[in-house]
Amino acid sequence: MKYKNRPSLVMKSIVSLSAVMLVAACSSGDTESTEASGGSGEACAVKVGIASSQTGSLAYIDVPNLEGFEMWAEQVNAAGGVDGKFTIENVVKDTRSDAAQSATVAAELLGQEISFLITPGDADPSIAAGQLAQDAGVPAVSWFGSSPILPLAVGDRMFSNAFGDNAQAKVLADYATDKGFKTAYTLGSPDSAYTNLLPGFFKEAFEANGGTVVGEGQFSMGQASFSVIVDQIKAISPAPDVIMTPAYEPDFPTFIKALRGAGVTSVVLGTDGIDSPTTLALADIAEGVLYTTAGVLKNEGKMATFYTDYNAKYGKDPETIYAVTGYEMGMTLEAAIKSAQSCSAEAIWQAWTNLEGVQGITGPISYKGGDRMAIREIALIEIKNSERTLFGTFAPDPATVPKAQL
Amino acid sequence: MESLISYVVNVISLGGTYALLALGLAVVFSVLGLINFAHGELMTLTGYVLLAGILMGQPFWLAVLIAVIAGGVSAALMEFAAFRPVRNASGATLLMTSFAVSMLLQVIFQNGISPRGQAVPVPAWLTTSISVGVSQISKVQIMSITVGLVALIFLKFFFDRSYWGWAIKAAANDFEIVGLMGIKASRLITFAFLLSGLLAGIAGVLWVVQRGSVDPLMGFKPVLAAFIVAVIGGLGSLTGAVFGGFILSSIEIALQTWLPANVMPYREAITYTIVVLILSVFPNGIFGKRVQEKV
Repeated sequence: MKYKNRPSLVMKSIVSLSAVMLVAACSSGDTESTEASGGSGEACAVKVGIASSQTGSLAYIDVPNLEGFEMWAEQVNAAGGVDGKFTIENVVKDTRSDAAQSATVAAELLGQEISFLITPGDADPSIAAGQLAQDAGVPAVSWFGSSPILPLAVGDRMFSNAFGDNAQAKVLADYATDKGFKTAYTLGSPDSAYTNLLPGFFKEAFEANGGTVVGEGQFSMGQASFSVIVDQIKAISPAPDVIMTPAYEPDFPTFIKALRGAGVTSVVLGTDGIDSPTTLALADIAEGVLYTTAGVLKNEGKMATFYTDYNAKYGKDPETIYAVTGYEMGMTLEAAIKSAQSCSAEAIWQAWTNLEGVQGITGPISYKGGDRMAIREIALIEIKNSERTLFGTFAPDPATVPKAQL
Repeated sequence: MESLISYVVNVISLGGTYALLALGLAVVFSVLGLINFAHGELMTLTGYVLLAGILMGQPFWLAVLIAVIAGGVSAALMEFAAFRPVRNASGATLLMTSFAVSMLLQVIFQNGISPRGQAVPVPAWLTTSISVGVSQISKVQIMSITVGLVALIFLKFFFDRSYWGWAIKAAANDFEIVGLMGIKASRLITFAFLLSGLLAGIAGVLWVVQRGSVDPLMGFKPVLAAFIVAVIGGLGSLTGAVFGGFILSSIEIALQTWLPANVMPYREAITYTIVVLILSVFPNGIFGKRVQEKV
């Protein structure tokens, strides 16, 4: 009877354990909060949540971006951090190229009191993840999602490390006009914001320049064959001077093989999605294809140091420009932290919004006065002898770029 | 007329590939009652082996042969390693196992090879076209049609004339009868996977040659199409698999050819709506068996 009013050994253990955990949680919370805020130039760690598509259809863009970013973080931390006091702590989670999984991963990362969120290199999963960051007041930047609707759909905390698709479409349209091309055919796909909107931006810019779009085709990503589409292009008489498509691998190789196989010789204009060795490996079939991207991936000039460092870390050469843009994401974050002199999400967001002329590897990067897409030069590449050849770099006037609308 | 010729060529070309894929699924379903969703990854594996063969300097025909055999052997190994241990488990367990194998192989391809697609250099003669009347047909399509039809004719003889062909057909009707015929279930199941893998290998080669590249996720769309084809034809029906392949390809190509541009974004939705309409008329597929269960 006397024992009835005494707590059992198990109960005492639970209570004790709970108390210990509560104290531990509180002290841990205190520490993290100090580290995260780290205001007034105090040393602290910037916790970067990285929701990256390490597997799935977007892995081709996110994996090299992460490699570049991690290389930058390692170099910065080896030097004692940004300004010798702000170290970088990466927390990486795989979103599996899925929008729902991107939201789940973003929620997990935001729960770990991150100061900065990196989202996948495409608008759809980035919107899913970015909306949570927006609510939490944490700045979010997409690896290289180039659809300009991305920041519009999310809000003022959402940015992209990429130029806008409207800007790259303008560069392609201007090239076509300068070359004297009068007619164009566009081929898009409703399966993603990237493949869906780019042909429309091109059409708007090309027609504003006086050109005519004589046909608009659509494909499903991953479809078995492009024979029907090629037959439709062949049926256009006279043949279009230029064919513009945002299709990327594995669809672009299939399309251009079918196109050239059918004897269609119109100039083909592509976008940054085809800046990969797969396109170059198409040899004669891809000869003369032009596309817009962030820069020329070549072991020379400013990129030579990047090649050396990348090779030392990963034991191979970078395969795509996305490894460079990932590193540049780090360089831009470095500029924001330097300006903020803080590890807090709010200070980094304010600094990021006002960044201007950050010297990246491919050129200067700005956000000030823009639409939260990176204001950066766009390289127009021509494939010659299975190699990337720079045709020119362009910075289209924002006033003449087609406007993005939700 | 030109558009009709193109239509027929495209339907036969795509339909043959779909039929081979669906037959691969149907053969395994016949003996194990399983839709093997890792079938697409066998195609992908075939693509990588083809690429390796070409990069190692093998003649194209030899690289193709090695790739197809690799598909068959891998399927048999898949059966031994993944499906045999759960053979007597429920259908749901088998299905989950096939999804697990599929995802495992995808991740292995992504991390072991590259998340990026790899261009497969096919001989230059395959990238040109020939004129047929007013139409032009690409040599890849001619190869696709030829290989597809030869494979289907061979399979017809195989199922009609050979011991193992009869056994698989018998299993499709009633698996228990096969046991009464004195055929060991294990051997028959392994053989079915081997045959299924060879079919995935042939379809994989056709797919890769047509598309010009191989990537870790390449198998997803084809296996989904093959599943739909198998359902249209009647799950487990070998004739239905072939028939369903050509039905699906004729729907897809017709919509892509003649659908107005402003409705084109709804093409896949319309395709699946037509499939549902077919199934509402033939609930067990066109060649499927009506299943009645005693209360």
